[in-house]
Amino acid sequence: MNAPLRKYSRHKRGRGVAAAWYGIARTATIDRAGAWAELDDGGTAKIITGVTEIGEGILTVLAQIAADELGIRPQDVTIGDNDTARSPEAAHAGATRQTYMIGNAVALACREARKRLVKELAHEWEIAEDDINCSNRMVSTVDKSRCITMSEAVDICKNKGVVPVGSGSFTANHTGLDPEDGSGSPWQAYVYGAQVAEVEVDTETGEVQVLGVWASHDVGRAVNPQGVEGQIEGGVVMAVGQTLMEDYKQADGYPSTMNLAKYILPTSLDVPQVTSAIVEDPDPLSPLGVKGIGEPSMIPTAPAIINAIYDAVGVRIHSLPATPEKVLAALRDKQKSADSEEMQAQSF
Amino acid sequence: MLYCDHYHVPQTLDEAFDLIQINHDRHKVLAGATDLLPWAREGRAGDVNFEAVIDITKIADLSKWELHGSRVSLGANVTMSQLLNNPFLRKHIPIMAKSAIWFADDQIREQATLAGNLINASPAADSTPPMLAMNAEIILDRKLNGKFMQRKMSLDEFVTGPGKTKLEEGELLTRVICDSMPEYGSAFEKVGHRRSLVISTVCLAALIRLTEDGTKFKDVRLALGGTGPVPVRLHESEACLINQTVETELINKSANLAIKHVNSRTRQDYRREVVFNFVKRGIMEAIKDFNKACTEIKNDIQPGIDHG
Amino acid sequence: MISNQGLTMASFEIQMTVNGREVRQPVSPHLRLLDFLREELHWTGSKEGCGAGECGSCSVFVDGVLMKSCLMPVAKAQHTEIETIEGLEEQGKLSVLQQAFQKMGASQCGYCIPGMMMAATAALKTNPHADREEIKERLGGNICRCTGYQKIFDATELARDVMNDKLPTKTLEEETEQESYIGSSSFRLDTSGKVTGALKYAGDMVMPQMLHMQVLRSPFPHAEILEIDTSDAEAMSGVEAVVTCIDVPGIDGFGVFKDDQPVLARDKVRYVGEAVAAVAAEDLITAKDALKRIKVQYKQLPVLTKPEEAIKTGAAIVHDDVPDNIVMHIPIRKGNVEKAMIESDYVIEESYYTQPVEHAYLEPEAGLAYLDSDGTLVIQSPSQNITHHRHKLAKILDMPVNKVRMIMSAVGGGFGGKEDMHYQGILALAVLKCRRPVRYVFTREESIIASAKRHPFSINYQLGLNRDGLIQASRIHMLSDAGAYNCSTEGVMRKAAILGAGPYAIENLMVDAIGVYTNNTPNGAMRTFGAMQSQFATECHLDLCAETLKMDPVELRRINFLRQGDETHTRQKLESVSMLEVFDSALDISQWESGISNSRGATRSDLGLSGNRPPCTLGARQFQHETVSAGQSA
Repeated sequence: MNAPLRKYSRHKRGRGVAAAWYGIARTATIDRAGAWAELDDGGTAKIITGVTEIGEGILTVLAQIAADELGIRPQDVTIGDNDTARSPEAAHAGATRQTYMIGNAVALACREARKRLVKELAHEWEIAEDDINCSNRMVSTVDKSRCITMSEAVDICKNKGVVPVGSGSFTANHTGLDPEDGSGSPWQAYVYGAQVAEVEVDTETGEVQVLGVWASHDVGRAVNPQGVEGQIEGGVVMAVGQTLMEDYKQADGYPSTMNLAKYILPTSLDVPQVTSAIVEDPDPLSPLGVKGIGEPSMIPTAPAIINAIYDAVGVRIHSLPATPEKVLAALRDKQKSADSEEMQAQSF
Repeated sequence: MLYCDHYHVPQTLDEAFDLIQINHDRHKVLAGATDLLPWAREGRAGDVNFEAVIDITKIADLSKWELHGSRVSLGANVTMSQLLNNPFLRKHIPIMAKSAIWFADDQIREQATLAGNLINASPAADSTPPMLAMNAEIILDRKLNGKFMQRKMSLDEFVTGPGKTKLEEGELLTRVICDSMPEYGSAFEKVGHRRSLVISTVCLAALIRLTEDGTKFKDVRLALGGTGPVPVRLHESEACLINQTVETELINKSANLAIKHVNSRTRQDYRREVVFNFVKRGIMEAIKDFNKACTEIKNDIQPGIDHG
Repeated sequence: MISNQGLTMASFEIQMTVNGREVRQPVSPHLRLLDFLREELHWTGSKEGCGAGECGSCSVFVDGVLMKSCLMPVAKAQHTEIETIEGLEEQGKLSVLQQAFQKMGASQCGYCIPGMMMAATAALKTNPHADREEIKERLGGNICRCTGYQKIFDATELARDVMNDKLPTKTLEEETEQESYIGSSSFRLDTSGKVTGALKYAGDMVMPQMLHMQVLRSPFPHAEILEIDTSDAEAMSGVEAVVTCIDVPGIDGFGVFKDDQPVLARDKVRYVGEAVAAVAAEDLITAKDALKRIKVQYKQLPVLTKPEEAIKTGAAIVHDDVPDNIVMHIPIRKGNVEKAMIESDYVIEESYYTQPVEHAYLEPEAGLAYLDSDGTLVIQSPSQNITHHRHKLAKILDMPVNKVRMIMSAVGGGFGGKEDMHYQGILALAVLKCRRPVRYVFTREESIIASAKRHPFSINYQLGLNRDGLIQASRIHMLSDAGAYNCSTEGVMRKAAILGAGPYAIENLMVDAIGVYTNNTPNGAMRTFGAMQSQFATECHLDLCAETLKMDPVELRRINFLRQGDETHTRQKLESVSMLEVFDSALDISQWESGISNSRGATRSDLGLSGNRPPCTLGARQFQHETVSAGQSA
């Protein structure tokens, strides 16, 4: 056997794995989102939608989608957002729905705006609409015989009395659940995830450190891979907090963890290194093939950690959080039952 | 919120005492403020109003440290950051740096003072166990009718309960005096629920001096925090080692003697087990620190129960 | 002298330099440096996240030393030089570190970033060659809830290497001009506002004539309100309006699935921290003082704190229209579970529990509400659901929907916790009563007690399996605490039920998810909406089953995974299932070694590989050549 590894150490390592799935957008009810688009002067664009960025990076995602659809750059896109009196409904920031719902709505709106522009140019150039390309801020014929800037194209369109605008409404056709047996189609797009966690357990204090998490997630078509990673890393760490330390406590209805000294969160010294892998299984039912990642990234982490603790020290924690107290108590119980088994074995 | 009508920043002790006298029962003395401001919030003390806050951090006399023979005298304004980073302090009371690195974070350590941590008398105060182990004494000054008066008492005597000390109305804790211990090996063990900004569930200070041949304990200082209403010095655990040969069985015995000090309101079983493990580990780590060259000890004695 | 109803405070003159500008002005002595910077000087880049030194959103340099400005009475900053996030740009250009944060996508909601940026700046100032572990230690006082810190560490390392000329400055630039922008890591549009502190969150906003609101909250978990006397508070000078439930003009009640929560407590309170009355006043101190003069007579009622007690007959009733206290019960039934369990080689049972969890977004709730010139009520707040809130408010206020305008201000983290409309209605009532702009900024403590948490679940799990590991039947019973109001309980139960049994093909299934009213803090939407609780049980249980079957937990999962063409637990046929591919990918990147858990101990070959961080040995940076009590050996 491997002698150095068998040497005593109070630190024990182990690994665990867990899988998960999730549905995209609102559950068991139809979901919808709207957006307006305009190809604007100077080859820029305006996208107007009630999208609500909560830090995940959805505005950037929408700018990328619009840029891609219109043949311009994300920085050319201005987004008018988050205002119920000034923008079309895009509904809420939640349910891992914004990239899917609003991304597709923006794509549809951009396609309509682009079509309007292309129609005028096709007329001007006396060619078919399909023979016109928009990319890299240039509008050209497929054979490149004609090539103008997007800025010039917008001018031509406007001089013909047409503002190249479009609107998009995207629907996700979900059905409710049967009240008796729960049957139904709650989502049209599903995502899957799996994570491996490696932990080190201090057998003298019960402390668990999560050293590494390897996270693989199907997000559909990934619009901004760095943003996807950011969602995975953030989700994993939020789950590490719930798994090891966070606990909102109340005694007889009176909260006792009402500040961040009592309700503790993971610090920079408590978090694992996270390695992400993005699997792209595009959604076949929607224009862009995108799905989502915000919520599902944190589902497999807790069980992967708990399973890793078992792998390391042979105890199963069934209740969260797995505090040092709980882990050490479980180790103590395991020791006791091992001792009593030994005694029984001796007595027979 | 902490409200006050006047915020005073005396430059001398004399000024401070005058302000204390003028505002006798309507004042609050403040140093780092890192405990006071969070205290004056909802769910704790709530909004608190003092007529006068007296900030002593600009009193130059209280910001000094000196060596007096074998004792180090630390002014009340010495910060956690200084304990962590100052070469003189790291040489003479190295265990304080080991404790300070666990104290809150870089930023709070810049403001928080050792004296403040002692006066707050939290059962889990990280500075108290190492200071108890270094035979710390507290100097309490006051000025009454124009006359300066001073009391001196051991830290052990000073801290009487959770949040309670023998500090009297009108008194200022001006200095903390403790042993200079450059020739000791030391260790600070701490466990909480995370690794930064963490409150101790249990913490232990260990200071060890071995005989020249490295086989016997010449002196042992052990103190424990987080396990009861006040941090405690582990006299029995120390006594069972002093002048004895360094060996596992004896260290286990010493660790066992510490368990009875667990007297907390919650998580007693957990703390008992950790105290046992910490005393053993603390002693071992302090021995390693004492004589890093003495590899024999490391290899011969393996602390801990192997659960794996 | 500033006079506030009996609270007299002498002001004194403060002198300091802030971001290179001389400041000399009278200041009230109770202010903290953070208050002075934000409220008096309007340098709002530094944020308040907790007010107690626990989060670091307020970190600034004081004479070049990083400090938490919420822990510093302003008088301590007398004659100092202060540098905030707004002072970091160099000649109008982002600093290297700010550019690195932009490049690495290190800011998400951005609320922690001003403090984090200061801390990272301090780290590299203190040690320009700090390695990743030292950087982590030096950022140890700054909490981030969105990013998981990794991109912040990456960015700080990148900045370090650029500053030390180990990487060219070009590394900080964006890759531009691409064929397709889908699939490219474009810079976030909002980064520069976040790394410079320029972005305004609701609590940073001010308007002329703006009033400050404070809310009186229930001290009891369950009590009847006998009387609310607001006359003393209303009589105070500086108080513009006191609002209670009687000020609601329309149909009171909000919620995500059911409108069971009044804007301000009506007839009774159902949890500690429930809003009862509110004051809008000229300044914060007056508003707080006025709260103390509102007299509420309560009659305490029996308190329900455990869901299993709440569903017993004869238990106290939290909402009269729900006498059994059951908010929602979602059942899923498929096949014949009884029979399949009997026929299984193994039936393995265990119970699992998950705790209530606080979202702990770094930005406590805040809102600024006002009337537009055309009479439209405008509410700017970090609401995750402006559409829904607009509808609810129109009904509550009895106003046409188009006269209620919700603008989502920059959101400093949400995670579901800002889906509930638990203060926008109060702001609306105050604005309508005093016809002036009103701002309300929560303290951290208020945010924690008043807002919804993640639902705690008690889950009883029974799985029937064959010897070869194939799942025959699954019975999952979930009981969850909804707390005092519905919030998102209905949806959380539904998602927990639909997804709970996991991505596995199971022919016989019986799932129940039951949410129950109690007098605990309400539980509501939080990232995964019940799916992490239920799947936590599933994934732990599968490992337990693998142990019993002496199987590799990986194999056990693999043979049971849903595949293309399979039906879900709700009998939906799946066209495309990436589960196996995703699973293999995770095993692949982690170099997973197959085998039975806890049998190989340290001999498993896949421990300690790359992708792990070193175990944290605090003080490593200080005691590299001294002894630290930690070590790594597997």
